[in-house]
Amino acid sequence: MHIAEGFLPPLHAAIWSALAAPFVVAGARRVNRLLRDQPQLQLLLAASGAFAFLLSALKLPSITGSSSHATGVGLGAMLFGPSVMALLGAIVLCFQALLLAHGGLTTLGANVFALAVVGPWVAFAILRGARRLHAPFAAAVFVAALSGNLATYLTTAGQLALAFPDPASGVMGSFLKFAAVFAPTQLPLAAVEGLLTVSIVNFLREYSGDELRALEVLPASRAAEAG
Amino acid sequence: MRAIDRHAWTNRWRDWHPAEKLLPAFGLLLMALLLPPLTTAPLIVVVAGSALVWGAGVPARALLVFVAPPAAFLLLGAPFLALSLDLSAGPTLRFSPGGVALALSSTLRALAALSCLALVALTTPVADWASLLRRAGVPAGIIELLLLMYRLVFSFAERALTGQRAQAARLGYSRFGRGLRSFGLLAGNLFQRGLTKARALEIGLTARGYRGELPVLRAARPLCRSRLATAMLGVGLTGLAGGWLGRALS
Repeated sequence: MHIAEGFLPPLHAAIWSALAAPFVVAGARRVNRLLRDQPQLQLLLAASGAFAFLLSALKLPSITGSSSHATGVGLGAMLFGPSVMALLGAIVLCFQALLLAHGGLTTLGANVFALAVVGPWVAFAILRGARRLHAPFAAAVFVAALSGNLATYLTTAGQLALAFPDPASGVMGSFLKFAAVFAPTQLPLAAVEGLLTVSIVNFLREYSGDELRALEVLPASRAAEAG
Repeated sequence: MRAIDRHAWTNRWRDWHPAEKLLPAFGLLLMALLLPPLTTAPLIVVVAGSALVWGAGVPARALLVFVAPPAAFLLLGAPFLALSLDLSAGPTLRFSPGGVALALSSTLRALAALSCLALVALTTPVADWASLLRRAGVPAGIIELLLLMYRLVFSFAERALTGQRAQAARLGYSRFGRGLRSFGLLAGNLFQRGLTKARALEIGLTARGYRGELPVLRAARPLCRSRLATAMLGVGLTGLAGGWLGRALS
């Protein structure tokens, strides 16, 4: 779920950009270091980023009939880890704004914060936690992807609520309003994305073990492979 | 996606220095955000739209196709900003006059910003951002990653669409569960193929002495100061006109 170009008041757009920037810079530093040590990772990362962009551009099978798209938040966090995901996510969001008119440049900071920072960290933490509790792998992936998606959606609702507090009931009322408006599309979408991520991860584990191991940036999948 | 990229590569301003297009567009965007939207936003939509259609020669249809989906989303969302939720005496929804003004100004501001985004996206290909990012101090490795990603997106997109069409022709999306499985297979396949392709590219490029940068010949595009000054003057005049209209109407 993207916030459209220009929708946030300038102060909010600036604050969210300032909050997202350190994560993106840290991700860029990490990727830069990785690329210096292992230049061969560059093409692998580029291919993964291009894949993430395409995944978000393809239409998902939907229950309600509305057209919906995957966020790839959970999958990205599992494959690359949340810090690399902040940079890749920011690049993907730029491409989405410039090539698909999804999101925008002034709302990039807010969208990066929701989709490339909060979502991936939540998905990553839940996957770690679930694996530690010895949850079955598929269930852990499902719950992680689902919660990554839900966290993204709630963050976006929160960003909109802070920007447009309700005159009668304030930020809380506004948050309830935005969360309720998006719930009919976002809740089924989160479940679909959870199932989809399980399906993709299963496929990759079955057929792409070598490639996954080649990605030294894959802490979660390495842990998953080991677990 | 391909249409947007095609216009970015083929419009009349294609050979201009990217700064000549991006600085005025960002100037307009900044004004769309900072100036009162009720009077300035419609002016910005008109200025950005005419610059695109008459200046850059991008078909009006392409502009509409770019703007329509997010604009529809904005217009559908506007009534929810106008509604106010009162929790004090049980949750009740009512229209509030303040909310209506807020909905109107936010929607207008977003529409103006959207037309500035169209001005950027339809005149400047993503590859042209590289020189600006380099000047902004972004590390070369990251810029090269961005450019590689941009190139790979289009080579993968073809495969993704063909794959999805083939699956649909075999009734792969006839039922929800089947659709989900098909999509998972497609995505997994795409990722696997993408990684294989990346590895093949890496071996091929390393054999040719690749050191993390693909040098390509670019046509020299010197910055034309007079063109930039004219464009910025236009942006300034739009801002002044917006401010003047605001004072005249209030």
